[in-house]
Amino acid sequence: MSEKEKIKLSGRIDSNNAPQLEKDLLETLAGKDSVAIEFDAKDLEYISSAGLRVLLRIRKTYPDISIVNVSQEVYDIFDMTGFTEMMDVQRAYREVSIEGCEEIGRGANGRIYRIDQDNVVKVYKNPDALEDIKHEREVAKLALILGLPTAISYDVVKVGDSFGSVFELLNARSFSQILASEPEKMDWCVDEFVKLLRKVHDTEVPEGKLPDMKETAISWVQFLQDYLPNKEWMKLMDLVQAVPKDNHMIHGDYHTKNVVLQGDEVLIIDMDTLAVGNPVFELASMFNAFIGFSEYDHVHVLHFMGFDYETSTEFWHRVLKAYLNTTCEAKVREVEDKARIIGYTRLIRRHIRRGGLETPEGKAEISFWKQKLISLIDNTDNLTFSLDELETDASTERLADVQQFISEKLERADCPMKVCMQIEVAVEEIFVNIASYAYAPLSGKAKVRVELSDNPSSVSITFIDHGVPYNPLAKVDPDVHAEASDRPIGGLGIYMTKKMMDDVTYEYKDGQNILTLKKNL
Amino acid sequence: MLSINKNIDNGKAVFCLEGRLDTITAPELEKSLQESIEGVKSLTFDFGNLEYISSAGLRVILAAQKLMTGKGEMKVCNLNETVKEIFEVTGFSDILTIE
Repeated sequence: MSEKEKIKLSGRIDSNNAPQLEKDLLETLAGKDSVAIEFDAKDLEYISSAGLRVLLRIRKTYPDISIVNVSQEVYDIFDMTGFTEMMDVQRAYREVSIEGCEEIGRGANGRIYRIDQDNVVKVYKNPDALEDIKHEREVAKLALILGLPTAISYDVVKVGDSFGSVFELLNARSFSQILASEPEKMDWCVDEFVKLLRKVHDTEVPEGKLPDMKETAISWVQFLQDYLPNKEWMKLMDLVQAVPKDNHMIHGDYHTKNVVLQGDEVLIIDMDTLAVGNPVFELASMFNAFIGFSEYDHVHVLHFMGFDYETSTEFWHRVLKAYLNTTCEAKVREVEDKARIIGYTRLIRRHIRRGGLETPEGKAEISFWKQKLISLIDNTDNLTFSLDELETDASTERLADVQQFISEKLERADCPMKVCMQIEVAVEEIFVNIASYAYAPLSGKAKVRVELSDNPSSVSITFIDHGVPYNPLAKVDPDVHAEASDRPIGGLGIYMTKKMMDDVTYEYKDGQNILTLKKNL
Repeated sequence: MLSINKNIDNGKAVFCLEGRLDTITAPELEKSLQESIEGVKSLTFDFGNLEYISSAGLRVILAAQKLMTGKGEMKVCNLNETVKEIFEVTGFSDILTIE
């Protein structure tokens, strides 16, 4: 079945020569029942209805027919007569040369070159890329319809032995180029880069239109089964499995070579990795692009991005802060660590698949990532994050982080100084309580969620831990009128909290201690 | 962050506190007190530059009060409004000498 009979069609086929063509074809095909036929129409100038009828008759005996290298004129005939619906008719591809052209972008599946002032071509690595090109065009169209600024290819071309797709991109400059040549534009780049990233992540995608990134991540984890200790591997699988389904878009390869400035418009390109999923998957691939790839050997980023590792680190860090809308380093660290888990998983798999274990340097790099991955897995309970929540070690050393995370939000809500201080006292009492008792003598995590609401203006702060069930509110209030000598040292914290907050509630639910403070602002 | 500026002269000790007296810094004050309280007859805490106090801080103050009972006098002065409120809520303003 896989054998194909290749037959050239040339010149003009009309009622004069059609009978002869039919005779020749039947002779050539005699004895080759049900063979697939590929007509090469490179030299075909014209085909009339008499010629088309020949093809139809041939098709009765040989249903698997394709026609390739069809010129635009002949393609129009096939199109008008409905033949393009009946059989596989493929246009001839324009040939484009990239010799001496500037490379302006690089993605997972190919590289992008500027072929003239107004146009770029994306050349695909895979020599059989027509399916990829079709996919990319479909998803780029989808993205455009859903409101994202991107470029859609208008032509498929041949570039040497590879396929390419051509886009109009007027005088565009990638953010990598801007950062490399105008470092003073870092602030602007961070803002615009994050604005567009949010727009992607806010985009809801209709069911089934894009692949689910979680499935892809699970396949990465599966690959690592033989390369990680079993305990960590199982936890890693659980962590990825537990990421909730999400129908919001992620770009999948969001870095500064794929974000371009055209005029005063910021566009994203290289859409073939578009998917849906939790944003942590996006942050993982961003971490890899800016840090992960180059963490072992810093020179990689310079080759890839055109700026150095320090610039890359600073940019990534600032992007993450802006994306998370916080200046709290602990919050940034929390989310970065989650992204790193998926990032390293992907890097290790990629490296092993490319023969990384066969060279000493490759082995060293893989083991570098593996150690980091294992320690992160041991110290992580889940991979999701929320802008309103800080997840941190339940340890008094983290108290300042918790306070910073909360006070930033209170300041933004114009919370009066005095109230801020009262909340601070209450937060300290509750958090130190959790740090001291929830997991003792072991350690664990605590989550702190801050929710502001209007009408009436109020804040609620929720503490969640998985430690031993303990209701601090059940304690009898201390006698605050006793003499100093009669008063026990301690036991005041919870009492102060109750007095200074407008409401304090506790519940134990799904294995969690949940304590909520409420304060009117 | 807490900075402790202590001045001890002839059985009279003045502790000027600046910053935050909380879970992290309270042990520093506790240690500083233990080192110097021997022979002290009059102990003053100057809270003029103290921005914040939590129950961990109150514990140290209460412990100091207990130590001083029978040995001499102790007072707390220059409380800011927030700290004053905390002293009131907890009844500390009734059991300590506040100026």
